[in-house]
Amino acid sequence: MRQVVTFAMLSWAASAMAAEPPATHRNFVACPIVRDTSTVPCWLAEYEGETYFLTIQTDVSAPVNPPWLGHKVLVEGTVSDEPRICGGIVLKPVALSVMQELDGSCNTMLPAEERYNLPFEPPRPPGPSKGRLAFGDPVTKPKSQEVAASKSFELRYEFDSLVMFRHAQPLQQIFEHARQSKATKVQITGYRAATLLSNGQLMQEDKEIGRRRAEQVADLLRGAGLTELRYDVKWQDETKRAKGVEDAARRRVQVVVSR
Amino acid sequence: MLKNIVKFMVGCGAGFLASAALADQPAPGHVPRQKQQAQQAPVIDARSPPANRWWTPGEGTPLPPVIAYPNSFGQVGVLNDAGVIDTQDHPFFEPIGENGRACVSCHQPANAMSLSVEMIRQRWHETQGKDPIFAPIDGMNCPDLPPGDPKSHSLLLERGLFRIFLPWPPKAADGSSIDPEFTIEVVRDPTGCNLHPQYGLKSANPMVSVYRRPRVAANTKYFTHQGFGVFSFIGKNGLPATRDPETGLPSGMNILSDARQPTLKTQAVEAAVTHLQFNGKLDEERLTKIVSFESQVYTAQVSHTGAGSLMESDTPPGFGVLNLAKGREGLLGNNVTNFVFPMSEAWRNPAPSPDPEITRRNEMRASIARGHDVFMFRTFWIKDAMHLNTVGLGNPTKRTCSTCHGMHMMGMDIVNGWMDLGTTNLPWAREEPLNPWNERKPQMPLFKITCKANVPPHPFLGRVFYTQDPGRGLISGKCNDVGAIVMQQFRGLAARAPYFSNGSAGSLRELVDFYDRRFNIGYTDREREDLINFLSAL
Ligand code: HEC
Ligand code: HEC
Repeated sequence: MRQVVTFAMLSWAASAMAAEPPATHRNFVACPIVRDTSTVPCWLAEYEGETYFLTIQTDVSAPVNPPWLGHKVLVEGTVSDEPRICGGIVLKPVALSVMQELDGSCNTMLPAEERYNLPFEPPRPPGPSKGRLAFGDPVTKPKSQEVAASKSFELRYEFDSLVMFRHAQPLQQIFEHARQSKATKVQITGYRAATLLSNGQLMQEDKEIGRRRAEQVADLLRGAGLTELRYDVKWQDETKRAKGVEDAARRRVQVVVSR
Repeated sequence: MLKNIVKFMVGCGAGFLASAALADQPAPGHVPRQKQQAQQAPVIDARSPPANRWWTPGEGTPLPPVIAYPNSFGQVGVLNDAGVIDTQDHPFFEPIGENGRACVSCHQPANAMSLSVEMIRQRWHETQGKDPIFAPIDGMNCPDLPPGDPKSHSLLLERGLFRIFLPWPPKAADGSSIDPEFTIEVVRDPTGCNLHPQYGLKSANPMVSVYRRPRVAANTKYFTHQGFGVFSFIGKNGLPATRDPETGLPSGMNILSDARQPTLKTQAVEAAVTHLQFNGKLDEERLTKIVSFESQVYTAQVSHTGAGSLMESDTPPGFGVLNLAKGREGLLGNNVTNFVFPMSEAWRNPAPSPDPEITRRNEMRASIARGHDVFMFRTFWIKDAMHLNTVGLGNPTKRTCSTCHGMHMMGMDIVNGWMDLGTTNLPWAREEPLNPWNERKPQMPLFKITCKANVPPHPFLGRVFYTQDPGRGLISGKCNDVGAIVMQQFRGLAARAPYFSNGSAGSLRELVDFYDRRFNIGYTDREREDLINFLSAL
């Protein structure tokens, strides 16, 4: 098992060693660690002997979702000057990508300790909410507004991954806009990207991911009933643009809906 | 004669279908394949004599506006919002197919519009196995076994399970084949049906047979709601939701344990073909009658041994069939404003009484109220549950029962409700321990699932794993849907053991113990007792 994992790691870390990302950034792959607190658990990861705070557990509407034990996580974060949380240096903003292969060694759960309790009230307790989601409804009907003749949307992805729960809302917005604006065509561009890790290695996405992202979005929109539109589906490779800063933003699909 | 009428009506309804080629089929999607097998299976001479508590197909008795039936925790009630139901010539109550069954055969008022294994056994004894519920098509482990032998019906008699047969590879709504993300191999076939030359996976009409409990055909406004979270894209994976073929509107995808039918109407078309062996598509008039019956019938526990009547004006708002009929659908209840099953202060902290009987009653009410709090507020680590830990909460997540069971008044999921709790996937599914002290043999089929190389492995089970029932995966063909089961409602639980889609929890205690093991909860005796009392009062 270990061997398989090592092999997989080599294949994403391309041979080309690029420049290192700025010192304020931490881009690494590690096992996530969950620490219990007197309220919601917090999520941490260790890199080069230091502990970093990634996020806390909230609910489905959170902009950053906690990773998964049983899998490694790709962390792409900026070191902030906020005081430590749960003992970890706060990375903010931070993008987290769950690595798809299973890794049974990622299984660390730490108990609550007084000194690591959260210094603030979490937006969502571990039990039922106070009647609203912590960050708003994850899938809301877009308010009807002036319908532009052409509108651009962007879907962002975790490393190497396709559509997941978080994309239901933006897809719904595209869908509703296409219906309301009586659109006739949609242009979909899928991108493949790479991440410059803090150790200087370039971690590239699957070769086909740009195409697969674009084709999937087209399939989903058709599957939801947008069968009358003209689809223009393209893909592009942006692995060369990785700089170790905001690399996560390049893992995306651009959708332009027009009349 | 009946057959001719049906053919004619099908002809009329054909305008609905997109493709004229499908006009003689009951519906597009997987049902034509099911029909082929249902029409192939033998039909035996069957009778359903009347009996106490039992609704016989075609008996013609009016169903009153409110009726109560005893169970071991008190009484379950059935309420008809439309008033008295004339069951004569009513398609839910008449044996309209070939095998003498009606919908009511498996959706019995005394069992909260489902069917308990206790009732199934009672029918077996009363009719020497001749009741139409034991029909070969799905009341037997496989249709060609010797009728009348309890061994041929062991899954029905021991666990209350009917055979559900679904084509493999799966069929999309338009009838085209879906290219599945995984392969399926039969590694254990105790019923003989999955390897059967005529009914199995390798037959001319390839079918997977899984074995499932009936579900409650009542309180339907809640689980067919168009409220919170129902959109064109599924909130759990971003894929397109199935749609009502008539209106084009997205479905909430909470019907049946795999959400394979988008509406009550399409579900009734399938049920007639499979369970009743009706040869064709039910006509509009009968479909409308079935759906309007299901849309006005409510069921819940109406009195509780210990806690007393649940039909009073001071009954907590989450309890009793009257409150249920009045409740609002499409509401998320996993919060302290709506609640899933709202409780009352009077039950939580009753006024002291000199009457020892009232004191005893109040103690049970307080236990139910505490059980409610265990359900809502007692946290534990929810781990490795596909479609829960993968939807933004992290794995594990420190949450409560109501995290998964958040639909107001129902305890289902408010959005499409399939998740892998571990009831059918190994390692958590109930399996017979193989050792010299156990003489029982495994009863459930076991399938080996291999996720293909071009898709990610199952997030918690990997690329190769085993299941008794692939659940939603048999419909979507998605590797990560294997073993994900649409949770069903919590109403009338006391009247319809055993629990879970595969009947693996024989009682509420076994159900709670499953969770205790699955999530390492560590309930105290009192928490467990309170939780069981709470569930038994719904
Ligand atoms: C032989 C027994 C049997 C008969 C007869 C039967 N059903 Fe069912 N019913 C089931 C089973 C088993 C399920 C669950 C199937 C599954 O989950 O895949 C079910 C599920 C349902 C559900 C879904 C409820 C939920 O909560 O998801 C409805 C509605 C329903 N049946 C209506 C009907 C109607 C209408 C008829 C008559 C046309 C009918 N049934 C006849 C056994 C039966
Ligand atoms: C990870 C999500 C999850 C959590 C947490 C969870 N459940 Fe469930 N529950 C499910 C699923 C999925 C099903 C359907 C499984 C099946 O039928 O095979 C289910 C089914 C049920 C049923 C329905 C039984 C029936 O057959 O009608 C009851 C009752 C129930 N759960 C009670 C509880 C209680 C009590 C707790 C807290 C200890 C709890 N659940 C926690 C997901 C969950």
